[in-house]
Amino acid sequence: MSARNPGLDLDLEWVSKVRVNTQAVLKRAQQVQGRKVAKKQWQAAWLLKAVTCIDLTTLAGDDTPSNVHRLCMKAIQPIRRDHLKSIDMHDKGITTAAVCVYPSRVADAAKALKAANSDLPVASVATGFPAGQTHLETRLDEVRLAVADGASEIDIVINRTLALTGQWEALYDEIRQFRQACGEAHMKTILAVGELANFTNVYKASLVAMMAGSDFIKTSTGKESVNATYPVAIVMVRAIRDYFLQTGHKVGFKPAGGIRTAAESVVWLTLMKEELGDEWLSPHLFRLGASSLLADIERQIYHHVTGRYPAYQEFPMA
Amino acid sequence: MAGSTTKTVFEIFQTMDYGPSNSTFSTAQSWLELQDASLGLFVEGKFAHPAGRQTRSLTDSTGRTVCSLMCAVEEDVSGSVSSAAKGLKGWSELSCHQRAQPLLRLAGALQRHSQCVSELCELSQSPCSPAALVRLAQYYAGWAQLRDTLIPDWIPRGVVAVVGSEDCSLYSLWLKILPALAVGNTVVVVPGMPTAPPSLLLAQLFGEAGLPVGVLNVITGSDVSLGAKVAQNPNMAYMTFTGNKQDAEALCRQTAGWGVPVSVSLSLDSVCPYIIFESADIDSAVDGVMETVFKKRRECQWALYVQESVLKSVVARLKLRLAGMKSIPLQSEAHRALVDTAVQEAERQGATIIQPCPPPTSGTLYPPTLLCGVAPSCQAVVCPAPGPILPLLTFRGPGEGVTLGNHSSHGHAASIWTEDLTLALETTKSLSVGSVWVNSLSVSDPSLSLSGRKNSGNCTDGGREGLYQFLRPSSSFPLPRSSPCALDYGAFGAAAAKASVPEGFDSSSIPRSYSHLVAGRSCKADSGCSRAVLSPEGAVLAHCPDGGRKDVRNAVEAAIKAQPSWMKKSPSARAQSLYSLAGLLVQKRQPLVTSIQTQTGLTLEEANQEVDLSISRLYEWAARCDKDMCGVPLLPQSGSALSISEPVGVLGVVLPDSKSLLPLVSLLGAAVAMGNAVVMVPSEKYPLPALEFIQILQSSDLPGGVVSIISGGRDQLTQALANHSVIQAVWYWGSKKGCQFLQHTCASPLKRLWLHCEGDEQKAGEGGLWSLPQPSLMEEMWRQAVVWKSVWIPTA
Repeated sequence: MSARNPGLDLDLEWVSKVRVNTQAVLKRAQQVQGRKVAKKQWQAAWLLKAVTCIDLTTLAGDDTPSNVHRLCMKAIQPIRRDHLKSIDMHDKGITTAAVCVYPSRVADAAKALKAANSDLPVASVATGFPAGQTHLETRLDEVRLAVADGASEIDIVINRTLALTGQWEALYDEIRQFRQACGEAHMKTILAVGELANFTNVYKASLVAMMAGSDFIKTSTGKESVNATYPVAIVMVRAIRDYFLQTGHKVGFKPAGGIRTAAESVVWLTLMKEELGDEWLSPHLFRLGASSLLADIERQIYHHVTGRYPAYQEFPMA
Repeated sequence: MAGSTTKTVFEIFQTMDYGPSNSTFSTAQSWLELQDASLGLFVEGKFAHPAGRQTRSLTDSTGRTVCSLMCAVEEDVSGSVSSAAKGLKGWSELSCHQRAQPLLRLAGALQRHSQCVSELCELSQSPCSPAALVRLAQYYAGWAQLRDTLIPDWIPRGVVAVVGSEDCSLYSLWLKILPALAVGNTVVVVPGMPTAPPSLLLAQLFGEAGLPVGVLNVITGSDVSLGAKVAQNPNMAYMTFTGNKQDAEALCRQTAGWGVPVSVSLSLDSVCPYIIFESADIDSAVDGVMETVFKKRRECQWALYVQESVLKSVVARLKLRLAGMKSIPLQSEAHRALVDTAVQEAERQGATIIQPCPPPTSGTLYPPTLLCGVAPSCQAVVCPAPGPILPLLTFRGPGEGVTLGNHSSHGHAASIWTEDLTLALETTKSLSVGSVWVNSLSVSDPSLSLSGRKNSGNCTDGGREGLYQFLRPSSSFPLPRSSPCALDYGAFGAAAAKASVPEGFDSSSIPRSYSHLVAGRSCKADSGCSRAVLSPEGAVLAHCPDGGRKDVRNAVEAAIKAQPSWMKKSPSARAQSLYSLAGLLVQKRQPLVTSIQTQTGLTLEEANQEVDLSISRLYEWAARCDKDMCGVPLLPQSGSALSISEPVGVLGVVLPDSKSLLPLVSLLGAAVAMGNAVVMVPSEKYPLPALEFIQILQSSDLPGGVVSIISGGRDQLTQALANHSVIQAVWYWGSKKGCQFLQHTCASPLKRLWLHCEGDEQKAGEGGLWSLPQPSLMEEMWRQAVVWKSVWIPTA
């Protein structure tokens, strides 16, 4: 990962100046979606880039060591080797960016990856995921325990109550403490945008999260009714650009929830390229939180390589 | 991009470029092949390929020939106009419902062939989305259906010429063609080269959609002078032009004196202010800049005005976004030279140049360029070079932003960015432009009118308001067709006033000396000269001031001062002033009746009647002051639109001879009620009632300067009005020569002209028109007294 964001003192004046025009953002989102990537090898290259940015995720009540193990294996070898070889990409280190699990499964994942000789990072959601409605002490402990179990990235959720009621100072302090609890582990802050009422709040919450030292800001938990949408992403990446212009620190972006198709993943990359530039097109600064997206990308790559449409059993299970 | 198809996946993986955009033109090319790649003229409902004509070839963006276009000659012009003239009777006599049908079916045909249309537009380098054309056709099909219901009493003008310059857009051309057809005119289109192939295709589709033969004709030529030739044809009733200023001027001059009213829309050269306030969503404002300003083909030019407090963040974002941009092809080497000069000039004046990369030393590729901190007088702001160049200026507060934005000889449109509703509406009100886009830009929909101010045009396109340029009141007289006379434009009205020589006097009747009204004071002519006013029998009745240039100048000076506050008065306050003026006229009617009688020789009854009518006319205008002057256009997009009528500004009115008081009062009422200031020239022959009326004006509470009445030689004063740049419109009743002079002179700086030729045979009829006006005639006066502003405020 790139240099970490050290954060800065809360600047409420900056936060209060935020203005977002909803219709202009929606219009921009449509423009971005209209920007097309060429077919053939361009599609293949963009899809492989998307793969390297995926936080391959399983966040289910019935997660056990066995399916976590399968997930880790899939993360190490996300695309069939023979397919990669035919487009000469087998030796370019195509893996997903990380695996993402619940805190109690971190140890399983770390073990599986270590056994496979992989240094792929394990990410863990924490802090009362997904609602964040537990005591601060509990949430802090959760972070510390996940890090102790071997997670090198922590996805924390913010306290929406504080954001909705405009208690930016309290929110800042909480995130600051999470950051401290993370230690060396990188911190991704989930804003749960579906529950923040409007774009202005999203922008403000993004700024506060970055001032408090988040390495990434992330759209949603995947458990709210509204997940990662392009307009909300535009608001967040604008906040990232704003923060970069003011401080020089680069903060990453992670959309999550509801991203299922290869075509969507290309739009997400386009959005990053258009709004923040090529530098943000790498796992250091961009992640896609997804579980079923990879399967669709595999199918597209298969089609690119063979010209045929595959059956499901032709891919290894996740 | 040589070798781009051989790029490996890994190379792309590293660079993450989008790859080539593969636009194919196969459908458009098949259509062109059907025409043997040589497009003819569209006359009498079919393509015609007369032999022995010169051709021009149209090239695409890579320089390859797309097709050849025919250069029409005199014979083709008369062929196409007579085709349109033959089609006129049938088309204008159709019921509204029947006329709407081909327009509706055109919308269907455009949807069916949208691939072909969009490819052909792209190929001919006049991009236009088929969806926009479909919306146009559907919108005007609605107006065709509703004309008689919603616009009774107005009839089509006849055969209309729609002319576009080489650089005009297809949309702006069809924004004139479709309303002209919808209200019952037949049309001869003279498109520029790039818009010719799509226009010919649309004409063909229109024919297939059931448009009767001759109703729409398209002819192509070598330059815009073909448009003038079309207008000179005796069957032509009206000409309207869209495109650049240079061609517009040439066209106006070439058609002066032919008795064809000409109106022009000049959005292309207009510099539009793009104002970013500190309360704006800056990122969205910057997106807007990037989306529109650096396009290869622009509908208008932009100048960026940024509030000082947010300058840093605007420039930082622009810099970041510019960094990812590629160079943009200019149209020619000549343009490159202009661009270089403009950038060098800005640099000399201390502007900071921001570019993604330095421009190549030669060639037609140029990087998008931001000129930060240029002076308002810089050429890049006043008259931008044809390239991807954006001047940026700063302002301290909202008031200064508006002042800077208005300090321009253009008035096409403005884009303003703020999240503050009050500021947005206040700014909207104060900008003297035809369209205001709030937190958006270049939103075009046929229901939003485009009405240029100052040098950006003298007609309204689009919306309900835009239909009226193609209509006239059923009882009005069109300009009589004629051919221009030899006229020395420099010498017209230049004869100096002569001081009078004492000639002895007749002691039985000493002629009275009248004053005229300039800047709110009744006074003598600036030159000190006066002229004798004769009775119908030829006796000297009185002496009136012989006004000239200086008097007009003084009147206009006062008008500029008085008009803004008069305009800002509430409509009901203006109504009260007019009611009180009418009341004064009732009280002091006797001297006016007498003066009409002695001046014109009318009977007491007739004179009384004229004063009565004048009184009722003033009451009518007073009543109209605060009645429905705005509309709320409904757009397909979500948001709020407004269509607001505003005063034109300072008007010059040269009054007819046919009546001595009624026209003065009618026109004064219309102009003043809507918030204009007027400089009026009474009939040269019968000035006394108008001069008598001055006393009433002076005792009214109309602010001084809002109305000036200057007596003197009609030609001299017409010349003075035409040559004052502040005057935005001239309403003229007078000689054919005067009309010709105005058409020729008012091409630059541009004015709105409302011309009436007082021929002998018409005088009787015209006089009647004043006394028995139909509602449509009053509406026409009102429409001449206002300009339209459309406001678009998009919402989510």
